[in-house]
Amino acid sequence: MLLKPKKPVSSSKLVVWITLIGFIVLVLLPTFYLISYVFLEWDEVRFEVFENPIIGDENWKQMLKVLFFSFRLSFSTVIFDLIFGIPLAYILARKNFPGKSLLEDIVTLPLVMPTSGFGFATLITWTTVAGLGGVLGLNSGLIPLDAFIPLVNVPFIVFIVHVTLTFPYIVRTLATKFRSIDITYEVASRTLGANPLTTFRKILFPLSIPGIFSGSVLAFARSLGETGATIIVAGVSSTASIAIVRWTSEFKLATASFMGSLLVIIAWIIILPVELYLGQGKRSLNVPFVVPISLTNRILKFENYVSKKLSRLKDLVPLFIVAVTVIVPILAILNSVILYWSADPYTGKIEGGVWNQLFGPSQYFNILLRATLTSIIVALVSTFIALCISIPLVFIIERKWYGPPIRSILKIPLIIPTSSLGLSVLLLWVSQGFNLIGSGIWLIILTHIVFAVPVIVESMIAAYEGSDISMYEDSARTLGATAYNAIETVSLPLIKGGIITGFILAFTRSLGETGATFIVMGRDITVPALVVNMVEALAIPAALFTSTYLIILSMFLLVIIRITTRGP
Amino acid sequence: MPNVELIKITKRYDNVVANDNINLAIKDGEYVSVIGPSGCGKTTLIKNIAGIIKPDSGDIFIDGKRVNDQPIEDRGIGYVFQNIALFPHMNIWDNVTYGPKVKGWSQKESTPLVKEMLDMIQLSTRVEAYPSELSGGMQQKTAVARALTSRAELLLLDEPLGALDVKVRAKLRYELRRLVKDLHLTALHVTHDQEEAMSISDRVIVMRKGKIVEIGTPFDLYIHPKNIFTANFVGEANFLEGTIAHILEEGSIVDLKNGLRLRVTIKNHKIDDHVVIVFRPEFGVIRDKDDNKTFNRLSGNVIEILYSGNIVRYKVKLVNNATIVFTISLSIQDPKLSVGDNLSIYVPPEHILTYPYPKGGLSKELSLE
Repeated sequence: MLLKPKKPVSSSKLVVWITLIGFIVLVLLPTFYLISYVFLEWDEVRFEVFENPIIGDENWKQMLKVLFFSFRLSFSTVIFDLIFGIPLAYILARKNFPGKSLLEDIVTLPLVMPTSGFGFATLITWTTVAGLGGVLGLNSGLIPLDAFIPLVNVPFIVFIVHVTLTFPYIVRTLATKFRSIDITYEVASRTLGANPLTTFRKILFPLSIPGIFSGSVLAFARSLGETGATIIVAGVSSTASIAIVRWTSEFKLATASFMGSLLVIIAWIIILPVELYLGQGKRSLNVPFVVPISLTNRILKFENYVSKKLSRLKDLVPLFIVAVTVIVPILAILNSVILYWSADPYTGKIEGGVWNQLFGPSQYFNILLRATLTSIIVALVSTFIALCISIPLVFIIERKWYGPPIRSILKIPLIIPTSSLGLSVLLLWVSQGFNLIGSGIWLIILTHIVFAVPVIVESMIAAYEGSDISMYEDSARTLGATAYNAIETVSLPLIKGGIITGFILAFTRSLGETGATFIVMGRDITVPALVVNMVEALAIPAALFTSTYLIILSMFLLVIIRITTRGP
Repeated sequence: MPNVELIKITKRYDNVVANDNINLAIKDGEYVSVIGPSGCGKTTLIKNIAGIIKPDSGDIFIDGKRVNDQPIEDRGIGYVFQNIALFPHMNIWDNVTYGPKVKGWSQKESTPLVKEMLDMIQLSTRVEAYPSELSGGMQQKTAVARALTSRAELLLLDEPLGALDVKVRAKLRYELRRLVKDLHLTALHVTHDQEEAMSISDRVIVMRKGKIVEIGTPFDLYIHPKNIFTANFVGEANFLEGTIAHILEEGSIVDLKNGLRLRVTIKNHKIDDHVVIVFRPEFGVIRDKDDNKTFNRLSGNVIEILYSGNIVRYKVKLVNNATIVFTISLSIQDPKLSVGDNLSIYVPPEHILTYPYPKGGLSKELSLE
């Protein structure tokens, strides 16, 4: 009989230590270093921000203005997401109809879409004659670039981009939450005489408050940190994330890190109470006040009316929004590439055509090929390293007593604005910190590891907690498997789907990441950063082509996600 | 006190016909149970009535009104779920007053009824408790009270006791029946527990593969099942194949081969007809070995003895190689049999049911699939 010798206990300890050290150094340290850097360089911060001999505290005023703008934008984005995301999530969770999985794909698309390319597509759609304006027979874009949304006072086009990029977080989180709530509660409510809308208000909504909160946190953080698409559509307005990019490129590192730290800390102050509340594991929120009967009856009448007469509306409006924000930009940019292929359709100049810009004197095609190579190497290497940290980390999180705190610390890289992230990695590894490596491909890889780890860990944990891993592992152990054998032969195969999904999500995010990459890339440019450069160099046709290329690449990856996660 | 009428109800799920052309009438104030193997469509049936699902075709009438196009909330039904489904974020009071609240009734109007219901289920002192703080039995009683405070007169019970312990289940089922009868409700109760169905229902519906096989009183279904499937599904029975050998004035003689012959009361068969005879394990009398009466006597060797509380089960291999089960109630008169002993049993003709041999074969006809 062949008995494998039992592995010594120390090797298991070693794995735990290596994982934890890798996690702390690669994932956590940059953010903490960013904040500590502000204190280390406080004199410079004071000089630049508060007591500049020439402009005084003008920079501080600017910062406050930009921060206020960013938070206004993120809040209004989340509110809008919720209003239209809740009905859409409900449809996805509770209704069956042909094309449902296609709709789910379309909703997911912005998650894997390279932000700069998508931002450019949205810009084309709304503000140029090649987009909706031309379709509707106007001689200009449908919306001027400087159109503002009243009340919240944010530019329309920036708002649209942020809604599109954050919508999937709300819809997916909520759809998952709704699915996890037994439909019997709703049916019970209906049998007791409540119409569908009242049922939603009194049953499903209170039960899904945790999901609504966590979806909102994700969307809020995403909006706050969004850089790639915003930089393209923002025009003269500046969000906090863009300000960080600007200051970094002006080498005002202390100012940029002060801004980055402020953003991280304020984001935490807003998100922490929500996280704490969610951590308590309460099933719902109890409304502490009593609503007078006359009002409740009026609400009931209204809900009865809406349920009976307007139920179609709640299905159609969210679908319309998804179509306009996701599908139309893709079509618009495809259309533009075709229009601009050989020459600028309006001036007739050959230099204004895609073909000329790619293969003509500017040689953008060669740069694009090189950038593609860089992007793919970065995505592969960073995702692979992240995977090596994530797999043991998931088991640590699920089994060790210090797992839950690690899991909540993992939220930091998820909510840190991407430009702050880039800055923090730059500070830590380049001259100001360890001084180990310079800007370039390796620094991009280090940056991408930071967000790849939480992405992979989250999707693995979902798979882990979705199946009864410890029960299966226990039964493997009773059949004679060692702890390692059990993990290798039972647990890992069971969460394979989660690993693959996490890998692809991290991979596509790495491929599309713009904000952080832009700061750390040095001369090794990636494709999304190339789009930003092209737009800034006003090489619009080349940007059109590159954006389309990126979008098609990410749609291809989404198809792979669908195939691998569909299950048997 | 509504009546319910289903006319040609059909409901398909992909390739499965869950309800196949079902016709059914339930009278005012009747307590009716639906039993059948899993997947027979019994839950689909009451979900159709509740409006939780819509039938593909056919009409549903509640109290004489066609309700096919009425949403769930307008049908005036009370539905009790197997998984209880008390709202976890509301306490008992809020759960029980939910119906009146969402219907916009004034508190003055609804509070007496709510209090009466809570008194009835003896939970008036625990209205502040949350569902998770109550036992399963209490939770299910609350769920019933909740269904009734919205003034439901038609109670649809979907395996209401399925999630409870055996003892609680046995007690609650009688309380359920008493409640329904005291309040003059109509109840349709789906269960996989045939003992539950038999002990509380006015009538029992036996379903199989989306169709109603038989409807009858519990007594009729047990003693005179019209259908061979019912005979097998309700209670336990022995099935023996044979052919009609003679037709007599007072019945027929069935030949079971190897010299075994039984007289049955049925006469409407021809000689040489292939039949199945059925009798319950408890409807036999042990004959002494030296008893000379050979009339309707089955003999064989005991091959297994099992005790289950007050019942002893003997598995007996007959001389024609068929196996039957014979049970006696344990009493001070223990027949003192052991495995291998010879056993003779007298089966009275009036307790033998005779069915024509099913075309598709006996095991297919009795299959629970």
